[in-house]
Amino acid sequence: MTLRLVTMTKLAQWLWALALLGSAWAALTMGALGLELPSSCQEVLWPLPAYLLVSAGCYALGTVGYRVATFHDCEDAARELQSQIQEARADLARRGMRF
Amino acid sequence: MATGTDQVVGLGLVAVSLVIFTYYTAWVILLPFIDSQHVIHKYFLPRAYAVAVPLAAGLLLLLFVGVFIIYVLLKNQKVTKKTQ
Repeated sequence: MTLRLVTMTKLAQWLWALALLGSAWAALTMGALGLELPSSCQEVLWPLPAYLLVSAGCYALGTVGYRVATFHDCEDAARELQSQIQEARADLARRGMRF
Repeated sequence: MATGTDQVVGLGLVAVSLVIFTYYTAWVILLPFIDSQHVIHKYFLPRAYAVAVPLAAGLLLLLFVGVFIIYVLLKNQKVTKKTQ
């Protein structure tokens, strides 16, 4: 059993974990375990997959926004590069290349 | 540091994601534990919408992505037909 885990692919691991958590959630929501959870806990439990998806989406969006805002621009290098591109275009056009 | 519109857009995205996260967390996690007569329930839709709205939004997103892919594929097809 241990050897099989070592050779399990990442996809298989994710699907395994998903199946485990999913079945746990389904069992709890449908009351298949016969536990009498307080109604407020049940109210929190059944939208849980949707909640996790929305939180993951918010995290992704926030991370992207943060990285965009804190990206290290190099304005001088950008301007230098643009002028070099113009030089190259002029040079190649002179030698007869069409754009 | 990024400048100008980049910073504004980036920080805007962060703000939007935080707002959505806080509202949704309050809706799904906190509200069931608050007395049903409390005034705060006025600011939240019935609980069923907590799953229906993200689901609808997700389907809309998939629709948009699909339409975009088809549009790009058709455009490429037309271009290759022209150059043939």
